[in-house]
Amino acid sequence: MDAWFMQHIDAYYLRIMVLIGINIILALGLNLVTGVTGQLSMGHAGFMSIGAYTAAILTLHYGVSFIGALIAGALMAAFFGFLIGIPTLRLEGDYLAIVTIGFAEIIRVFFLNFEPGGKAVGLYGMQQFTTFSLVMVIVIVVTLLNVKLLNSRYGRALYAIRENEIAAEACGINTTRMKVAAFTVGAFLAGLSGGLYSHYMGYIAPQDFGFMRSIEILNMVVLGGMGSIPGTIIGAAILTVLPEMLRIVADYRLLFYGALLVILMIFRPNGIMGDIRVYDLRKRWQTKEVETCSKS
Amino acid sequence: MYKLRNKGIALILMVVFLFVAAGCGKGGQMSRNGEEDVIKLGFLGAKTGSVANYGIPAEKGMKLAIEELNAKGGILGKKVEGIYEDNKGDSAEIASIATKYITRDKVVAMVGDPCTGLTKVAADIAQKNGVVLFSPGATGPGVVEIGDYVFRNTLLDVFAVPAVVDWMMNEKGWKNFAVITSLNNGYSTALTPVFKDAINKKGGKIVLEDSINDGETDFTAQVTKLKKSGADVLVFTGYYTEAALIMNEVKKQNFDICLVGGDGLYGQDLAKLGKDAVEEKVIFYCGFSSDQPSPETEAFLKKYREKYKEEPDMFSAQYYDAVMILAKAMEDAKSTDPKVFKNELAKLKDYPGVSGRTTFLPSREPVKSPVCLITIKDGKFKLLDKIEVNV
Repeated sequence: MDAWFMQHIDAYYLRIMVLIGINIILALGLNLVTGVTGQLSMGHAGFMSIGAYTAAILTLHYGVSFIGALIAGALMAAFFGFLIGIPTLRLEGDYLAIVTIGFAEIIRVFFLNFEPGGKAVGLYGMQQFTTFSLVMVIVIVVTLLNVKLLNSRYGRALYAIRENEIAAEACGINTTRMKVAAFTVGAFLAGLSGGLYSHYMGYIAPQDFGFMRSIEILNMVVLGGMGSIPGTIIGAAILTVLPEMLRIVADYRLLFYGALLVILMIFRPNGIMGDIRVYDLRKRWQTKEVETCSKS
Repeated sequence: MYKLRNKGIALILMVVFLFVAAGCGKGGQMSRNGEEDVIKLGFLGAKTGSVANYGIPAEKGMKLAIEELNAKGGILGKKVEGIYEDNKGDSAEIASIATKYITRDKVVAMVGDPCTGLTKVAADIAQKNGVVLFSPGATGPGVVEIGDYVFRNTLLDVFAVPAVVDWMMNEKGWKNFAVITSLNNGYSTALTPVFKDAINKKGGKIVLEDSINDGETDFTAQVTKLKKSGADVLVFTGYYTEAALIMNEVKKQNFDICLVGGDGLYGQDLAKLGKDAVEEKVIFYCGFSSDQPSPETEAFLKKYREKYKEEPDMFSAQYYDAVMILAKAMEDAKSTDPKVFKNELAKLKDYPGVSGRTTFLPSREPVKSPVCLITIKDGKFKLLDKIEVNV
C-alpha cells in the first residue's frame, strides 16, 4: 500500500500529508477539550511529548513493537491527563489556561533532565514506522469516533458544559467528571499523535514540544472553528500546508503567515467552520434543489 | 448583504492567493528542472528563530563560495546554484526542507546544519535517498555514523578539548578545575563529559561541579561556591550570554579567575554583556580566527569584507569551505553523482581551507588543525594562541 503511494506521490507531498494527519489527530484531541467542552488548555504539547517520549523509549530501549509502544504512549499521556485533570478542572477560563501552561513547562523541563530521554540533546534513532496509510487509517478511525462521541449523550453533555456550566449541572450532568473525561481523551489523542510523530521524524528533543507548539495546536482549533470536527481538520491542514506554500515568499514567510491568520480571524471570527454545521449545509443544499425543481 | 459580499470577496482573494502561491512554486520548479547542466546545492540553516545567529552568516559564506565557483566557470563546466530555505531551527521544518531539496529541487548535496540535532534529522533523509550531506557545524557525537553519505567539517570537541586542557595545564599551570554545565543546553551537556574526561586523563583535579540553566540571570550561588572551591580555572561549557553573566558576578564578588569554554562562547554579545568583566578573562577555542590569517584565510577575509561590509565568523568560513570541498571532490571524481563523488570526498587530506587544515579520518570524522584560542581584548575577539592538533 505504502509502496504504491511512494511511487505515485512526490515524497515531499507525502511528508506534508503525513504531518497533516498527525496534526489532525492532535487538534481533534484539543478540540474536544477546548472546542467542545470550552476548557481553555494551553499545554497540549506537553501531552504530546509524553506520548512521543514514552513510545520512543519503549521501541528504542525495550524492543517493544511499534503498535504496542504507540498505545502505551497514548495511555501514558491519558493517565497524566487524568492526573492533571482532577485538581485543575475545578478551575475555569484563564486560571485553567495558566495551570496547563505550567504543567506543559514542567513536562518540558522534566524531559530536559531525564537521562533515558537524552536530556537536552533529545532522542535519536527511532525507526520510521509511521507510514502514510497508518496515519490515514488512524485519522479516519479517530474522526469517526469523535463524530460518534459528539452525537452521543456524552457529547451533548460536553456541549452543555461549554454553553452554560451551571445550567448543565442543574440538568444533572456531573460537570467535573465530564471535564476530566474530555481532558483524558484529549490527552490520549495527543499521546497517540506524539508516538506517531516521534516515529516519523526519528528525532525528538524537548524544545520540539515547547509553548509555541501548544499555541500552534490551539490555533488549528480556533482557526477551524471551536467544536467543529470538519473545522478542526481544515484548520490543521491549513496551518500545516500554509508555511510550506509560503516558502516562495522566502524571507517574509512568517510575516505572511501571521498576516493571513489575522485576516482570517477578522473575516471569520468564529473560525472557518465555527458557525456552519454540516447538518445545516446539507439542509440548505436540499432546499435549493427543491426550489430549482419547482421553478422548472 | 454588504457585509456578506465583503466576506465573499475576502474569501475568494484568499483562495486565489493560495492557488497563485502554489502555482508559482510549481512553475518555478518546472523551469528549473529544464536546465540539466546546473549543479544544485541545498542550504540548511536557520534564518529566523533562536539559532539564526549561526545561519545568517553561514548563508553569506555559502553564497560567496558559489559566486566564486561560478566566476571560475563552475564545476566541471556546469553552473552551481544554491537554494536557501529557512528551517527556523525546527526539526520538523528541516525534515520537510531536506525532502523538498532531494525530491523536488534534485540537489546533489546539502550543506548544513550548524546544529547537531537538526543535522541528524537531515542526514537520515540524505542517507536514505543517496544525497551527500555536509555539515559545517555539527560537533556532537553520532553524526557521521549515520552513513557514508554524511560528512562534516568542523572542529570536533573530542579532538580539540584534550589539546586545550593540555594547554591549560602546561602553558598556564592550572591544575584545579571547576566545571559548570548548563543543563537545558544540549551542546553544554554533551561538552561537559568531554572536558571531564580530558581533565581526568591528563591528571587534573576537578574541585567543583555545578550547573545552571540557560535563561537564568542570577548566578550568585554558583559563583560563591566557585570562590570557596579553590579552583584555578572555571570551565564553562554553555553559551556566551550565561558566560558573560557569570563573569559579571565573579567581578562583583571580586576575585580573579579565568573562564574557559568551547565555541559556544563565540558570540559578539559576549563582549557587549560582559564589558570589562570578560576582558582577557574569557578564553575559548574554535576552528577559525581572523587574526594572523593563513594566505587562504586572508583572501577569504578580503572578499567577504568587500561583499558584505562586515566580519566573517566561524560559520561563514566553514560553509564557504564546505562548498569548496564539495566542488573539489566533484572535480576529482569527474562526476556530479553523489554515489561517485562521495568516495572522493572521503579521501580528503590536508585540505587548506579558510577555516584551517582539514583531513578526513577513515571513519569520515574530520580532524581540523590548528585550534585557535581566543580571548577578548578591548571589546574585540583576539587570538591568544594556536595549538596544532595531531591524531
